[in-house]
This record gives sequence, C-alpha cells and structure tokens, in this order.
Amino acid sequence: MTNPCENFASDSRVEPLTLTDGSIAVLNLQAQIDGLEGCDTPAEAASLIDLLMLRGLILGRISDYERAAQLADRLVDVAVDDAAAYVTRGRTRAVFHRFAEALDDFDHAERLSPDDDAAKQERATVLQALGRYDEALSTYENAPGRAGRFQNAAALTGFWAEQGETVTAERLYLQSLGNYRGISPLPLALLDFQLGVMWMRKERLDQARSYFEAAIRRVPAYTAAQGHLGEVEAALGEPEAAIARLNPLAISSDDPDYAAQLARILGEMGRNEESLTWRRRAADRYDALVTAHPAAFADHAAEFWLGAGDDPQEALRLAELNLQIRKTPRANELVAQAREANDMRAASVRRQ
Amino acid sequence: MSDHFSGPRALADPAADISDLYAFPSPEDPRHLVLVMDVFGKSGPSAVFSDAVIYRFRIRPVDIAATGPEAAFVAGKSEIAFDFTFDVPNGTSVTGRPVQHGRCLTPDGRIISFVIDDENGGAGEGVRVFAGQRSEPFFLDVRMIEKTVTTGKLSFKPKGSDTLFGTNILTIVLKLEWAKALEGGPLFAVVCETLAAGKRPVRIERLGRPEIKNVSLSWKMFDQVNKDLEIRDLYNSEDAFDVKRDYFDAYRERMNANLGFYDGIDGKIDWPFDQHGNHPLTKILLADFLVIDASKPFAETSYFEIERSMFAGRPHVTPGGRWLNEDFMDFIFTLYIAGWNGPPINDGVDGPIAFSSKSFPYLAPRNPPKDAAA
Repeated sequence: MTNPCENFASDSRVEPLTLTDGSIAVLNLQAQIDGLEGCDTPAEAASLIDLLMLRGLILGRISDYERAAQLADRLVDVAVDDAAAYVTRGRTRAVFHRFAEALDDFDHAERLSPDDDAAKQERATVLQALGRYDEALSTYENAPGRAGRFQNAAALTGFWAEQGETVTAERLYLQSLGNYRGISPLPLALLDFQLGVMWMRKERLDQARSYFEAAIRRVPAYTAAQGHLGEVEAALGEPEAAIARLNPLAISSDDPDYAAQLARILGEMGRNEESLTWRRRAADRYDALVTAHPAAFADHAAEFWLGAGDDPQEALRLAELNLQIRKTPRANELVAQAREANDMRAASVRRQ
Repeated sequence: MSDHFSGPRALADPAADISDLYAFPSPEDPRHLVLVMDVFGKSGPSAVFSDAVIYRFRIRPVDIAATGPEAAFVAGKSEIAFDFTFDVPNGTSVTGRPVQHGRCLTPDGRIISFVIDDENGGAGEGVRVFAGQRSEPFFLDVRMIEKTVTTGKLSFKPKGSDTLFGTNILTIVLKLEWAKALEGGPLFAVVCETLAAGKRPVRIERLGRPEIKNVSLSWKMFDQVNKDLEIRDLYNSEDAFDVKRDYFDAYRERMNANLGFYDGIDGKIDWPFDQHGNHPLTKILLADFLVIDASKPFAETSYFEIERSMFAGRPHVTPGGRWLNEDFMDFIFTLYIAGWNGPPINDGVDGPIAFSSKSFPYLAPRNPPKDAAA
C-alpha cells in the first residue's frame, strides 16, 4: 500500500518537512480573512477573494465561493485597468464552472498585462477543466520561470492525477514535496487530496485512504478529505466509521455532497428512515444550488440523482447540461451512466 | 507593518511574515534595551504564532568603520540570539482569543515560559518577554505611496488615509539588561528573523532596517539590470551579517535605481551618485540591521541619527535604533527625495489609531474586531 508520507521520508535527499500545525493554519486563514474585511486597496481585495476561495476549498463552504464571486465582480468594477482584478474574477468564475467567462477575463488580463504569467497559469487550469488537455499541458510545461518550482510541479501533479496517470502523478507528487519551501500545510494537503481522488477513481481504495489520511493529518479540518475518506471507508466495508465521519460534515457544511453520501450509505445499510431525512436535505440543497449555479453543480447533482436521489431522468438532464459545459471523459461517462439508469428504469417499468 | 507582504513566499505563511523591527532603550530604565518584532500584519482575532517557526532576535556588537561619504559599519563576529517558539493553541481564553503557550530560549540556555496576550509576560534573570496580539504601531498611506511611484510625483494629501488604521499585529517584545545579557557594546546591530524549525532551521524572512524590501527594493521598473527579478525572496534568504557576494551587486543595482528615482521626484538632485555609480546611501542601507547605542538614553526620534552623524563626521547624540511611535514614512520620504536638509515631506498620516506607551509591553492593546467596533 502506498503511504505518501513514508515515501517522502524514505527519500534520503530531503529532510522531513517542517509544517505549521493544521489547526493553526486554519485559525490563521480565518485571521487573514477577518483582517482583510473592509480593505480598501484592489490588491488586498484580491487577496481577500483568494483567501475566501481557499477557505471554501478547505472547509467545504460554498458560501465562501459565492462571497468571493460577488467581491470579484465589485473588484473589477473599481479596478477596470488592473489585470490582477480580471485574473481574480476569472478564478472565481472558473470555480463556478463559468469557463467561457473565465477565459474572457484571462484574455482581458493578458491584454492589459501581456508579460504577466498569472493569467496564463489560470487559463491552463480552465483548459484542463474543459478537457483541452494538450493545451493545458503545454502551458504548464512552458510556464516561464517556474520549472522545478513547487507551484509548477503541483500543477502537473494535479493534471496527471486527473488523467489517472498514477505513476507520473506520484512521481510529480514527490517532486512537489521536495520542492516545497513553505511551512503552511494547506498546499500539501490539497496535493494529498488530489492523489486520493485519483486512486479513488481507480477504485484502489487502500491507496486512496492513505492519501486522504495524509491530507487530514496535515489539516484535520479539511472537509472534502474527511468526506472522501468517509466514502472510502464505506466502500471498504466500514459503514459505521463512514457515518461517524460524515455525520458532522453533513450537519455543518452547506455542500450537500456529505448529506448525499450519508443518505446512500444509510440506505445501503437498510436504515431507510434516516436515509430519507438526509436524502431530502441533500435534494433541497442541490435544487437550490443548481438553480443558482447550474454549471457548477450539474455534475454533482447528477451523481446524487443517479444514486441516493433515485431520479435517473433528472440525473440525465443535469449530466447532459454538464457535458455541454465541458467535454471531459468524466462528463461523457456520467451521461452514459445516466442513460443506462434510465434504460434500466424503463425496462423495469415495462416488466411491471 | 513596514515590511508586510515583502515577498511572494511570505504570503503563504502569515505568521512568519515579519512586518517590523524596533529597538530602543527602555523609557523606564536606561539599563535595559527593548527589541520588538512584529509579524502577521492586519491579523484578525484568531491569529496565533506558528508552531513550526523560530522567531529569532540576533544581536552583534558593531563598530563605526568609516565616517564621511564612505560611512560604514563593521559588525563583530560574536553574536547572541534569543529564540521564541510556540505550542499549538489549547482552548480559548475569556477574551475569545486562542490560548497559546510560548517560550524564549536565552543565549545561556535558560527557558522563559509565557502565555500569549498576558501583559505580565514571562521573566528571567535580566530578561522580560511578552508575545501576543496588539495594535499596529506603524502608520502610512499605501495608496498615495503607490501613486507617487506610479506617477513620479508626490501624491500625498494634507490629510492622508492610514492604511493600517485600527488593525492588529502579533508582536514579540524582549526587554533585556544589556550590560549583563550582551557581549561588547554599547553599539549593537540588531536583526530579527523567522526560520522554519527543524534539524537545520531554514531562514524564511529577515528584517533589519524598515522599508528596505518594500519602499526601497520592491519596484522593478527603474532597475535596468534586473527588471524582471522579484528580488525580495532572495534578499530574505540572506544572512544579514554575511550577504553573499554573488548577489550583492543585484541588490546594489536595485537600490541605486530606486533611490535615484526617489531623488528625482522633486526635480532636483540631492544625492549625486559617486564615481562608481552608487547612490551615497546605498551601502549604509544595505548594511541591513538596526544600529543602536545602548548607552544613550531613550529618545522619541532617533532612527538613522547615528548614520547621519557618521556622514557628517560628528559624534551621534541619540541611541539610534527605532522607537515605536516614530513617523517613519515622513522621515524616509524626506531623506530619499529632499536629502538631509530638504523641506520636510509629510505623507498626511501622523500617527496610528493608538500610540505606544512608555511602559512594558509598550504597544497599545489590540483593537476590537471591525464588526464589534462598528
């Protein structure tokens, strides 16, 4: 079984990393955000937006993403000639899968500041999300002045992890750790998480667990890592552990994924009443999110309606919407799954 | 917060991001020297020190090696250091702040324990320490500084806007009986550093003089040699007392270029470059440590008085160093733009929300969170 921390420790060229405790990192992330509230310079506003998105990512708070997007719109209004403002807004739009608008912002930023690398790097992230992998890879590999540095190795790790190229992704993961010069545990926990998701999609659950646990050791409050670890535990036949892990997340998070997972696991255990409660909660929240941000939540909502939500027609509608937005292998696969579920449902009705 | 956000790497680790260093004789007792390191500018109520960082004061005896136009210091080889480290917080205090324990390792190996925000701090023989969140003592109008640099014209308003008004920092205060605790003197060079803890601590950031990295080194556009180089991370990684010769020319070129720009803002040249193409202040500013004469009594305004006296070839009369309430931005813009004797330049911001007091731990209590204040 792969243990990412053991791998790193066994590499004699590098010493174990010295990192700030994860609880301090989260306290100080909060302190940075609180300290920048009401800030009056565009640079600080951009920092606040980035920090809100980071907190959204770590603590699984969709409300942080929404607030970041609102602030980014306002930032561009007051800093119309500032390339960094457009890069920041593009980043928030990308989070909500508004990819075409995000690319417009990066184009605008590059026109304002042709030598600035930030827009190029962010564009690559969007191209990757859109399934335009060759273009994304070319940008990552040619990023000026970044060769060998942590940011670039980390970006490439994420790229190959999403492709499911496990050997390359793990090699770059170790390279990223070796290049890391910071003391914040947050960037490394995000990397651990990406590798965990990669192995989860490969259904190599022990490896996935190992990476999610590594992420949680670095940052115990990392909600998405906790949630995915819960899924893995359930898949490995440890549903009670999964429920114990997912229950507080489902209560506290405004992301319905945790309630959806909980509903599915409880349903599989035959605890139908509890499952139904969480199913309703997830369904209501997905409906609200799909109404507010259709592009961003079409894929997750489709997965929910395919599983615990038990509505293959709605799943197909949302999966097709997601495929219109980005033509990735995963989007195609989701449509195929939804069609198959509808066919099975139709066949079942005919039999009755 | 003169050094806040002084390089991209520091952005990721706010608790390791040094904003200011102060050094002054104790206003309460001239036998004591006080050193203050501020980190994590604009920090919210939950801010704490990192458990992965060593917060270090380094002190060396220093001599005046030359006076007149070639004025220079030579720092001694002997050095003492005070290291501060912190635990992971444990619970929350009645004020709502995290409870965090810390310790100061003195040069002779003693450990002084304390709890952050406790105004009594910790004490050992001849040493008193405090760490915690306090009101930001620095004040400046960042927007007008940026506008001045962008337009090349002085843009300060008669009544400026303090960018740091009502904000808080994390501070470490070290008060020591210098004749007992230090070697040599009474002239000392002081720097502070943050280091990633571990078997071989790695320097994250260092700070000596105020506004070297931001106001003096950050602007790239005037530097014809290294226009594309973000020089500050490299500069931060250097040993203040032993800067690598390989990179010194890059720092010098950047400093010359930026000081030359400032000098030209008022349309006249107050600082003609020497025969080697160097600005007269470049060398002394790149000796990037605070110099303090511990034998002199406390003074309200004393930063750079030792250096100025060296250039003038006369004995200094103040302790030098840097007191918390000095209007540093007025001083530096007057110096850089108008020279030693030019008309004073006022940035329109004359004080912070609360001035520091003359009793331990000196910095004003932290400001309430903005929502509470509202």
